[in-house]
Amino acid sequence: MVAAARTRGLRKVYRGTVAVDHVDLEVPTGSVMGMLGPNGSGKTTTIRMLLGLVEPTAGEVELLGHRLPDGLPRALPEVGALVEGPGFHPFLSGRENLLRMGAAEPALATQAIPAAVSEALERVGLAGAADRRFKAYSLGMKQRLGLAAALLAPRRFVILDEPTNGLDPAGTRDVRAVIADLHAAGTTVLVSSHLLAEVEATCTHVAVLHQGTVVAQGDLTTLLDADSAGLLVSTPDVTRAVDALRDNRIPARAVPNGILADLTTTTAPAVVETLVRAGVPVHEVRRQRTGLEDLFARLTEPSPTDSLDAELAMIGDAR
Amino acid sequence: MTTMAIPLPRTKAPIARLLRSELRMMLRRPRTLVGLGLLAAVPVIAGIAIRIAADGDGPVGEGLSTLVAGNGLMLPIFSLLAALTMLLPLVGATLAADALAGESTNGTLRSLLVAPVSRPRLLAIKAFGIATVTLLACLLMAATGTITGIILLGGDGMLTVSATRLPFADGLGRVLLTALLVAVQIWGVAAVGLAVSAWTDHPLIVLSVALGLLIVSGVLSAIPALDWLDPVLITSGWESIGEVARDPLPWPTLTEGVLRAGCYILIGYSVALSRMLTRDG
Repeated sequence: MVAAARTRGLRKVYRGTVAVDHVDLEVPTGSVMGMLGPNGSGKTTTIRMLLGLVEPTAGEVELLGHRLPDGLPRALPEVGALVEGPGFHPFLSGRENLLRMGAAEPALATQAIPAAVSEALERVGLAGAADRRFKAYSLGMKQRLGLAAALLAPRRFVILDEPTNGLDPAGTRDVRAVIADLHAAGTTVLVSSHLLAEVEATCTHVAVLHQGTVVAQGDLTTLLDADSAGLLVSTPDVTRAVDALRDNRIPARAVPNGILADLTTTTAPAVVETLVRAGVPVHEVRRQRTGLEDLFARLTEPSPTDSLDAELAMIGDAR
Repeated sequence: MTTMAIPLPRTKAPIARLLRSELRMMLRRPRTLVGLGLLAAVPVIAGIAIRIAADGDGPVGEGLSTLVAGNGLMLPIFSLLAALTMLLPLVGATLAADALAGESTNGTLRSLLVAPVSRPRLLAIKAFGIATVTLLACLLMAATGTITGIILLGGDGMLTVSATRLPFADGLGRVLLTALLVAVQIWGVAAVGLAVSAWTDHPLIVLSVALGLLIVSGVLSAIPALDWLDPVLITSGWESIGEVARDPLPWPTLTEGVLRAGCYILIGYSVALSRMLTRDG
């Protein structure tokens, strides 16, 4: 299946500064991909290149199967985008702004524009404020209007750059619902965010950018599972459990109500076997699920994995 | 077996729809409306002033203005020429500044590009909008000038500089011609503005460059030693538009000005286009 968007060796240099380098991104069709990264990691630059707003210094971009830049006119009518905040005329009302956007949409027939505008306003919860000037909108309402513009025509691919910026909790929930609707309808969604909980709640796939390059990407569950190298064992006999594992060269440490065994060098059955052999009562065993937050921290912060090791070493030293 | 043509999805929105939308947006912008309103008021104010002066004892003024008293159809021509020196170029430059630099700053240019509207098309739409609104400004001045002139200053037909009297319809034709000639000159200024507008995100830079160009051009043309520069200066020949008040019309003088403005339009538009194709959206 053709990916909704694919880049190969994407590189962008702004006046000698490398903004993005070696970006090989693949947004699978039908997925909701979260693009994560600290500020300045190249998320927006990458999105701008996907949309043909910026020409890459090197590398290739394919959008809905069309090679850019030549394929832009074919691809873009089916792509909705909210990039770098909502851009509208302050002196026009929300509805008039969308009517203007509608006039520029090749996919909309002229007679269909007013209805499409009303529907989009309804969808983002702006119907009540549609006829107020954009200037008078709150930050959240501006953001909603930007979202409405991205949803104006039928889309196969929707790109949302920081869609929840400035939104209150209700607004965030609405955006989440819109993304879920799009996903259910088979639309591919690429959403950039620095709100990890947001991405964890809405996305099927993630790509993590750091210092202008993709440091991890793929199916969200697979990524999180691959990252969780710990086994949580509940037992009342913590000391004996830790000792038994350490005797078998399996790093472990005490946590509330049990122990956490490190699985980097061993497997879960081996840990359980060791404990049972040593006569440790095992009440419950489960894989520690790392949150996206941990994964993100490990990928984007300097010397990240060291913390667990250091902790284990400290416990070892204390004994 | 019948072959079925699969209709290709549309890749462009209809151009008429885009042009209409552009004009509607421009004419909703408060700045445009205030500008048009003030320009429309210029002939009215000039008409009242000349009427008061004519009723008094003192001289009415010099140049064309002496001819305006009691010669109502000359009022719009006089007003358009007066506005051509600064007011109308200011309007043209402001529109050019808003068209690309302004829209780029508030993010609306980006929205159009991803709709998508291709870059050459977007520039053409912007140029069309500027040209139409500046023409509208000139025609509006011609209209309020004609009406004010007839009411306040009266006159039978139009008394030309050559001391002939033209019938009313011909006089009206001269007014219309002036509006068109002035509009073409403003298009020249706006084209330069559009070129700068394509290069920057700051509308003020566009205004400064366009108006600076007029001032420099005026200064250079005032230096006799630099007379050889005159044929390429943008303001050369602006005064000669006043020749429309001659009978018969001195066509060579008038066409020369149009050709010069045409060159500026061509150069400005080409520079804008070359930048538009590569600029970051």
